Amino acid sequence: MLGNLGTNLKDALKKLAGKTVIDRVAVEELVKDLQRALLQADVNVKQVMQLSQTIKKRSLEEEPPKGVTAREHVLKIVYEELVHLVGGKVDVQLGRQTILMAGLQGSGKTTTTAKIARYFKKKGLRVGVICADTFRPGAYTQIKTLCDRVQVNCFGNPKETDARKIVAEGLQHLKDEVIIVDTQGRHALEDELIQEIIDLNEMTHATHRWLVLDAALGQQAREQARRFHEAVQIDGVIITKMDGTAKGGGALSAVSETGAGIVFVGAGETVEDLEWFDPDSFISRLLGMGDLKALAEKVQESIQEEDIDVNAMLSGKFTLRDMYKQLEAVNKMGPLKQVLSMLPLGGMEVPDGAIDVTSTKMERYRIIMDSMTNIEMDDPTVLNGSRVQRIAMGAGATLEEVRELIKYYKMMKRTFKNLKGGEKGMQRLMKKFGRFS
Amino acid sequence: MFKALKEKLFSVRQRLETTISEQPADDGVASSTQETPEPVVPQASQPQPATVTPVAHDDEGTKEKKVPGFAQKVVSLVRDREFIISEKDIEESLSDLEIGLLESDVAFSATDAILTKVREDLTGSKRKIGTSVDSVITNALSDALLSVLGEGVNILDFIASREKPVKILFTGVNGTGKTTSVAKVANYLTKNGLTVAIGAGDTFRAGAIEQIDVHGERLGLKVIQHQEGSDPSAVLFDTVQYAKAHNVDVVLGDTAGRFHNRVNLMNQLAKIRRVIQPDLIVYVDEAVAGNDAVIRAEEFAKSVGMDAVMLTKVDMDPKGGAAISIAHAVGKPLIFIGVGQGYDDIVPFEPKAIVADLLAGEA
Repeated sequence: MLGNLGTNLKDALKKLAGKTVIDRVAVEELVKDLQRALLQADVNVKQVMQLSQTIKKRSLEEEPPKGVTAREHVLKIVYEELVHLVGGKVDVQLGRQTILMAGLQGSGKTTTTAKIARYFKKKGLRVGVICADTFRPGAYTQIKTLCDRVQVNCFGNPKETDARKIVAEGLQHLKDEVIIVDTQGRHALEDELIQEIIDLNEMTHATHRWLVLDAALGQQAREQARRFHEAVQIDGVIITKMDGTAKGGGALSAVSETGAGIVFVGAGETVEDLEWFDPDSFISRLLGMGDLKALAEKVQESIQEEDIDVNAMLSGKFTLRDMYKQLEAVNKMGPLKQVLSMLPLGGMEVPDGAIDVTSTKMERYRIIMDSMTNIEMDDPTVLNGSRVQRIAMGAGATLEEVRELIKYYKMMKRTFKNLKGGEKGMQRLMKKFGRFS
Repeated sequence: MFKALKEKLFSVRQRLETTISEQPADDGVASSTQETPEPVVPQASQPQPATVTPVAHDDEGTKEKKVPGFAQKVVSLVRDREFIISEKDIEESLSDLEIGLLESDVAFSATDAILTKVREDLTGSKRKIGTSVDSVITNALSDALLSVLGEGVNILDFIASREKPVKILFTGVNGTGKTTSVAKVANYLTKNGLTVAIGAGDTFRAGAIEQIDVHGERLGLKVIQHQEGSDPSAVLFDTVQYAKAHNVDVVLGDTAGRFHNRVNLMNQLAKIRRVIQPDLIVYVDEAVAGNDAVIRAEEFAKSVGMDAVMLTKVDMDPKGGAAISIAHAVGKPLIFIGVGQGYDDIVPFEPKAIVADLLAGEA
């Protein structure tokens, strides 16, 4: 989310490096960069102007605490204001509840409904979904197919045209702990449909009313969110389609408009692609402060027995075997870029070449590595011409592919080594932040 | 459409007019009361989008675009009965216009381009005192807008000019309304006396085939479909074969929504393109999209190509800035806008009419 905001901010913050007095020109430049980045990310124009004014004012007026450099001081202000913009943390309770899904047409409600159903199911709850979309043809087939895939109950009737009736029947029919009601897409200017969702909200006594918003949504997000909020009191926002290039700034306007935080972020087409959203971690990552907590959680969650030793990797002891495990874990852990973004790298850039290896290539690499011996895996330096030839034959790969793999390995190793170097300064900074917050 | 933008433009124009018409009085020399030798309103005063900006008219003599000094202004006033608009005069109004465009969801880059154009056209341009102030500004603005909105396309003429069956492929990211748009366009074409067959090329999303099938049934149109998960190229190839065999005029190919940063999915689209050789690739995007509209339109144009754009959900966001963003990014004509959920909620788009309307008087 918010995309290159991070890069822009890091560049701007660099200008403040080493300064003890806060420089008005530098602050103004920072604010300008921030404005530009936020506007490009579709954050509401008025909000951007307000935010940049506040940051400017605070940076110039507030006295930095003793021992804090100008850069750290401004960074802290930017951090706080951005956390404010992104909204509070929403805890997802695991218990009996009814969730009403609301949103515009095509925002991804149905897909998200299935994702949330899967989320609760994975947490050990019984889940039932009611399909209250009586308008769009194929809507019931869609949700039914998805529900079958994640094995949760699904109630609906493609022949019935009254959503209220379906929901009433569904509530009687389903006895699950978590009931999710998927509704028809509507926008705030359609009075009849707004009335319908008000009725559905009353009928279901919904515990939560979550607004699903497309990450690409522009300035209109604020207005739409306001009307939805007026109608059913939205208490959570879900941003979808974050796997595209959209920055999700529009959805942030919805957050400030409703006062509800972001609950989940959807970032893919399959039912697994749903992430719980933590504003603090998100902004930390954005500012290059790293998010070791999330990384630790992620590592624990996805790779228990394989156990990748992150510390060993950082200390430069990185063998092909580590890389093999990493490739295996990549599928579970999400792309390497995301994992790296959780490390406190400061402004350091990781070479794109290290990241832009597509998943198919990863798969090829794994196959090639399957043809290597244990000795080769533990000590890649033994690889010579004849070994490379044997590996290529064994894996059904070309010599070039094997050599490319070795090159990739070397690059990874170098990258991890560099990570360690960049760590120290950031750690100090992080400690400071710990003190602030 | 564009209503909010229209209001904004109107107020900006008014402000520009006041700043500009105050100008000669400020300088205190030869104010316009004395002499009006030229007929009032010599140039096109009504918003005629096609006219060239006034800069082009008055470029005899010195064409200095630098900040004009006071003396120069006086000289210009006395000798040519013109005055020069300086950047300072309009800065405030322009920044107002910028906010207006941004608030209407015109993407950052497009806003930049429009402002630069208006600024270039206005600053340093000399205006004869008798000239209607309105025409200078209107022309500058409409020119800037037209240059991003491009020429319109009449789809019916286009189809008539092609060999049957005319193949139209719909592409776009997820959830912009491709399937609904296919149904609407099918309905529009049928009403205009053409026969239509639909290819259910979205084989990925659960329920997509059922969705288009129901549309086809309601509209009484043949929908060619395979199973979920099958190769969309094959489905659309079959559709074209069907159309040839049954003498159908137009083939509409639906596709699964995909993100432009998914190489494999974009390759799949390229394959579809190779297989069916579409006459027209229509890129579908939604009016509510913000800055991302530009990025994805560019990517689609680059990797699979596009010939025309259809903007959906205009009823949701009547400001229509996305139209300007996309047009600016790829320079392809907008053919239709979708304005509701019914089959008839589709309007052919005519840039000239829209721009004229946008700039015409009060909102």
